[in-house]
Amino acid sequence: MATVRELRDRIRSLKNTQQITKAMKQVAAAKIRRAEAAQRRARPCAEAISEMLRRLSAEVSESSVAHPFFKDGNPAAVPGVILMTADKGLAGAFNSNVIRAAESYAQQNHGATFYTIGIKARNAVRRMGQSEHPTWTLAGDKLETARAVAARAGEDFAEGRISRLVLISSRFISMMSQKPEVIPLLRVPRHFVVSPAGRESEKPQLRGAVEFLPSPEFVLARLLPKYLEFTIFSTMLETDAAFFAAQLIAMSNATDNAGKAIDELTIAMNNARQAAITKELLEVVAGAEALAG
Amino acid sequence: MSTVPFRLITPAEVVFEGEAELVIAVTTEGEEGVLPHHAPLLAVLRPGVLRANVRGAAASERFEVATGPGFIQALPDAVTVLVDEVVRFEDVDVAKTREELGAASAAHDRSAEEFALAKLRLTGH
Repeated sequence: MATVRELRDRIRSLKNTQQITKAMKQVAAAKIRRAEAAQRRARPCAEAISEMLRRLSAEVSESSVAHPFFKDGNPAAVPGVILMTADKGLAGAFNSNVIRAAESYAQQNHGATFYTIGIKARNAVRRMGQSEHPTWTLAGDKLETARAVAARAGEDFAEGRISRLVLISSRFISMMSQKPEVIPLLRVPRHFVVSPAGRESEKPQLRGAVEFLPSPEFVLARLLPKYLEFTIFSTMLETDAAFFAAQLIAMSNATDNAGKAIDELTIAMNNARQAAITKELLEVVAGAEALAG
Repeated sequence: MSTVPFRLITPAEVVFEGEAELVIAVTTEGEEGVLPHHAPLLAVLRPGVLRANVRGAAASERFEVATGPGFIQALPDAVTVLVDEVVRFEDVDVAKTREELGAASAAHDRSAEEFALAKLRLTGH
């Protein structure tokens, strides 16, 4: 059985750990509010882009658009995967869930060319053997990063180095739940241009109602790269929020577990101390009796 | 004077939201002025100066910012400008920007020289 001193040391070290996890929990709680506020600020832009795309969809037919994002990619190439994780860990299985999803996607498609955002994603892809791949961090100017990623991956797609482009990241479902998700980016999904069958009747009414400067095709060609950039940008904001949510839960569990362990050790320590006292008392009594006898 | 709801949006935030009497933006085809009840329009914007007469606390105010490339969507009942970035004039660091401009134009001159030289080598004139 452990001595009282050993137990006391272990309790002290656990209390230190608990203090750290508690502090990290509070920091995560503060940061998640900021991350959610950033997501809210980005929402009007998402609405504006999708409204413009909807208006354009009434106007252009698939064949009239020469943009490479509207053509099927090179079928001989492997798919391109933008893998997005957080820069840091200590958030439970948050990063590893996304990385596992990417690994199985690459396996199903017989390989993949990776672009990574987030240091955990970078390290994972390096372990997979792609030591030299385009990589960015999640921290920093997110808009600039999104632009750089979109430019690089978009060019690779347009020049046939990848067959298609998907984004694998964590979806923020709730504070308690984040799920990895595969979002197709390129080629641009058909429903963006060809409106769903149900809305076909809307088309003649809308057609010609909007004036496009200089032309619908030109506007669309400019809007598509923006759409790509913005999707990456807003997913980065979502990953940020989801990461802090996962970290909040992980640190809250860690704090609770440390508390339980401290309670158990405290009981063990009290037992040990009581046993030592009892033993000493017995020795004193026995000694006194021996003298008296 | 009648007004129309006007929003200036960047990916990161809504820069301005309010009522405007007039919005003037620089499209790829030239300046375009948008009044309330404008016919539906969707145009590509060049980097330039976005101007608007907006309804202030009491009277109408002048709203003027520099914007990156983007789009303007005018509908009879709403005007939306979506741009990469917005720079307010009071935020411009004149000395730093001059320096950047100098570096950019130097790079421009250099590449023009290289281009002329390469052309000369290829075509002989």
